[in-house]
Amino acid sequence: MHEKSAHGLTVAAANAAAKAAGIHAGMRFSDARASLPALTAEEINREDDARALRLLARWMNGYSPLVSLDGEDGLLLETTGCDHLFGGEVAMAASLSGRLAQSGYTHQIAVAGTPGAAQALARYGGIGNAPQILPSGAERIGLCELPVQALRLSPEATTLLRRFGLTRIGQLYPIDRKALTRRFRSRQAADAVCLRLDQALGIRLEPVAPLRPPPEHAWRLACPEPLTQAAGVEAGLQQLTDTLYADLSGKGLGAQRFVFTAFHSDGQVSDVSAQAARPVRASDHVLRLFREKIGKIDPGFGIDLLLLEALRTGPMDMGSRPLSGDLAATGVDEVALSALADRINARLGDGTVSLTLTEARHAPDKAERNVAFTGELASAGPNLRDSQGLRPVRMLSWAERVDVIAQVPDGPPLSFVWRRVLRRVVRSDGPERIAPEWWLHLPGQAAHPAALPRTRDYYRIEDAEGRRYWVFREGLYDDGRGQLPEWFVQGLFA
Amino acid sequence: MDIATLKTKGLLRAVSAAPASPAAFPFGLGVAGLHEVAERGYGDRAAATGFVLAATRQTKQGAWLWISQTKLTGDLGHVPQAALRQMQALMPQRLTVETRTLAEALWAVEEAVVSGAVSLVIAEVEAADFTATRRLTLASGRYGVPVILMMPQTSEGATAAATRWRISPRPSAPNRYDPQAPGHPRWRAVLERCRIAPNATGASFDLEWNDETLSLSAVSGLAAGPAAPRPAERETPARRRTG
Repeated sequence: MHEKSAHGLTVAAANAAAKAAGIHAGMRFSDARASLPALTAEEINREDDARALRLLARWMNGYSPLVSLDGEDGLLLETTGCDHLFGGEVAMAASLSGRLAQSGYTHQIAVAGTPGAAQALARYGGIGNAPQILPSGAERIGLCELPVQALRLSPEATTLLRRFGLTRIGQLYPIDRKALTRRFRSRQAADAVCLRLDQALGIRLEPVAPLRPPPEHAWRLACPEPLTQAAGVEAGLQQLTDTLYADLSGKGLGAQRFVFTAFHSDGQVSDVSAQAARPVRASDHVLRLFREKIGKIDPGFGIDLLLLEALRTGPMDMGSRPLSGDLAATGVDEVALSALADRINARLGDGTVSLTLTEARHAPDKAERNVAFTGELASAGPNLRDSQGLRPVRMLSWAERVDVIAQVPDGPPLSFVWRRVLRRVVRSDGPERIAPEWWLHLPGQAAHPAALPRTRDYYRIEDAEGRRYWVFREGLYDDGRGQLPEWFVQGLFA
Repeated sequence: MDIATLKTKGLLRAVSAAPASPAAFPFGLGVAGLHEVAERGYGDRAAATGFVLAATRQTKQGAWLWISQTKLTGDLGHVPQAALRQMQALMPQRLTVETRTLAEALWAVEEAVVSGAVSLVIAEVEAADFTATRRLTLASGRYGVPVILMMPQTSEGATAAATRWRISPRPSAPNRYDPQAPGHPRWRAVLERCRIAPNATGASFDLEWNDETLSLSAVSGLAAGPAAPRPAERETPARRRTG
């Protein structure tokens, strides 16, 4: 693999055969070609590589919920508490190695008590393909023969250590820290060496940032034989939701988001997720939310692990149901309502079910706002029943501009053309003057007065056929804000 | 304690209000079963909406679900919360669902009816054939959730709904305080189909909505407007209270 760099073509990566011939990453491509004329190479595609690594990391979730990227070519798995599911660390590493080899990845696996030690072993301790397992606490002995590059140091620090004759990690153990620090030009470089050494030995903790946050609760179902039928996936989900119900009800919890992941035997991962408006745990409800989406999981060559995760868990509403709707305090069963909203959202897309909130705004088209229903009905907003004039039963999504003939400039229209039909006004009532919200447009912010919003005069008018409209004139003739006022239809009265 | 004692002490009571006589004016609209409300011509949707909001009373507590197709709302506008507040004595809680296709809208109606979580489902759809209305009628009867389908002027033909109303606006009532201003809105509601009371089929109601008392009343033809320039009205039942 080669890539373009500041010094022309350089080698980006080399396989085992090329490495044996002395070709390594970073050397000029022309030098490599000269030393090995039979060299075949192609340009590296780092973006695709990174994407493939992320996919692989996702698939690794089948082994551990905490997976993070290590550089451009490594993955770090936190296996604490996961190995017993596979029969111990040895069996887990063997299984992982076998699966990776099946997919055609060259790899090197190391298991150690600290991230630093595992990285050092995997990258520099390789003898063949066999997984290396270092028992926790044995880092000091395990690492002492490795080169100092394994400590993830900067190239300058490595060169400096080399000059001192320190090539193996084991040589660093007996050196006095103060003496070591004194030899580095900068304190930061010395601190970095000590930090990396301490992290590898487990003296200092190294936090690992996982690619995706670990779920609060997860249930897994390993399949002895890969599932190849869609019915099998559904049966698996059924079993997982039953476990979920049993587990969560023991804790008095429910969850609002569920992710169902299928790990395919060919290294693919597919997942579907479902949302609930309020915490739920009933297995039939969760199953119902997934039913519309589960078809997206194509078993393909077989699925060998199913994983169900519950996110955003919280205590559940455990009020007992009233005997009849008449006796209920509020009359609205919010739990049943949010279950209905969940099902509609699961099928028609999130946010399909919405709730209208009233806001204290002057403009009638801004006085209401639709928000996604989140399981709670609105408390009564500002009480506007008495403070408002009559409002139309239908509000157009956008006020539509109309051509108007008015008797006097400041009066209601005589006739107007709306949606290409001339409508003759028989009766009219108004104006109801609605001023713009000037506090949102203070003079300092809008440079030109023409950019300021204009007062609206609303009229209720009725045409010859008895249809009633709510029209407004935006602006007054002498308000000095740009063009002549324009007319709009805002809504329709009953 | 036996049942009689419980009843005399007021510890037991009927759990649901008895619906109004199904053979009287709204013919069960918004109380039970599936009803269709169609507009007479393009642009009469506001009148049809007004009629639905005026003729529907909340008989049991619970939220309303208002389902509509996105393209219909884009064309005809949505029903604001303010209209519910001004036309309903007890303002209902309302959830809105917007769907892309007709099939999704009808599915959502059925889902809501079957769930029993809402007290009324109002759906604005572009069409509903006999099969769909039959299915919704059965579901509505079984789960006791009334459904109102608001249909465009093109809805014709067979339906399994209990009633089909055809609504058109009428010139509003004279305004007592200002002759130039529109008064109480009036509509003509024609009962095109009625399964509950077959002999009421074809009846025409001229209705007036009083936005202060929140009552709906029938008006006679003569009172429907100024006498001179209008042609004679069809015969309608003499002023009777229906609200």
